[in-house]
Amino acid sequence: MSQHELIGLAGAYALDALDADERAVFEQHLRDCAECAEEVRGMRAAAAELSQVSAVAPPPELRASVLNEIRSVRPLPPVTDNVLSFRRSRSGRVWQGLAAACALIAIATSAWGFQQHRDNRPTDAISASGLLSATDTAAVSGAVGPGTATILYSRSSGKVALVGHKLPAPPSGKTYQLWMISASGTATSAGVFTPDTGGNVTSVATSQVADAVRMGVSVEPAGGSAEPTPGAIFATMNI
Amino acid sequence: MTHMRFERASSARGTPADPGSSLEELLASSAKGDEKAFAELYDQTSSRVYGMVLRVLRDPAQAAEVTQDVYLEVWRQSARFDSSRGAVLSWLLMIGHRRAVDRVRSAQSSINRDTRYTVLNTERAYDETSEQVQAGLEAQRVRKVLNDLTEAQREAVSLAYFGGYTHSEVAELLHIPLGTVKTRIRDGLIRMRDALGVPT
Repeated sequence: MSQHELIGLAGAYALDALDADERAVFEQHLRDCAECAEEVRGMRAAAAELSQVSAVAPPPELRASVLNEIRSVRPLPPVTDNVLSFRRSRSGRVWQGLAAACALIAIATSAWGFQQHRDNRPTDAISASGLLSATDTAAVSGAVGPGTATILYSRSSGKVALVGHKLPAPPSGKTYQLWMISASGTATSAGVFTPDTGGNVTSVATSQVADAVRMGVSVEPAGGSAEPTPGAIFATMNI
Repeated sequence: MTHMRFERASSARGTPADPGSSLEELLASSAKGDEKAFAELYDQTSSRVYGMVLRVLRDPAQAAEVTQDVYLEVWRQSARFDSSRGAVLSWLLMIGHRRAVDRVRSAQSSINRDTRYTVLNTERAYDETSEQVQAGLEAQRVRKVLNDLTEAQREAVSLAYFGGYTHSEVAELLHIPLGTVKTRIRDGLIRMRDALGVPT
């Protein structure tokens, strides 16, 4: 899409009138285009004014309910590095899908034994992992922005495979990293994965699955990190 | 931001942490766990958020549920608000609108879209019933600006914002090319932005 076409989407974007594919494309562009970002700010401010004409007081009991709910929720800490801009612009929305997909997943990988395959034959890598013959292999799948992520895992063998299609790219110089998080809160690397230009990725990993109670996804510097950058895990799911 | 006064007037409940605080200050205090500040933030903004969500969803029970989710999310994310990307109220409304739109779109696969369009068409999305409208100078000002849009612009903007339709769906509903819808939405919003002098 040309710059002219893209900036023409700012209005529809501000009204949430783009479909998922268009939104993903536009948000990716927004990260690098100050002109479009400025346009979106203005459009969004105008859209916010629309809510003047629909304003209506909520039911009184909602206030108490909201205030009661927040009492048991801790506000998240600020994000302290440049992953921030990624998180805000690409946002939870895209990744909520992955988080959902990961919800039931035991990707208990670690840095060792991790291989990444970027060819178009994901099944070869998965076959080789033994996941297809393990008796307890489970699979989950979910939408991630315009694409999908499917994860196979086996607690008995400790093997995990992630197959993604049309996943959004991480910021330049960054990679996604999976983490297994134990009940005590210790995060263990579950390997890095970077979708190719088509958003496709297949990764297969081996690790301990047994200790993990949650899984997280973070954005880390290329090559991955020994432990998650503070605040960089943007999706976690119980497994 | 003068329109906040309008919201304040509509919600006299509660014990304001500091009635003079801006939304940004209230949000910053909320990030540190200040529940009173958050209550004040709620009081100042909830009629805007709830009203918009209600307009999109049309079901008060669902609108209350979504509004509650929005405020929980705002509380959780309060330290991560980025003022360079827009005002606090815009941010709240963006979160709310996305959630409302997500809900209608996911519910939609199981219902007939034509039904929704009939409802919208009959009621004219922008021509709201008076009991749902808070009186207020700011609202009147926005209404006037909306009335100054062309009929075509107003329709496209309203179907997208209050109807929750994608621009492709708006094009189909109105039997016009997608490019025309994009232009109408864009021109309509630019006109609103300029007429209202909204900070960008």
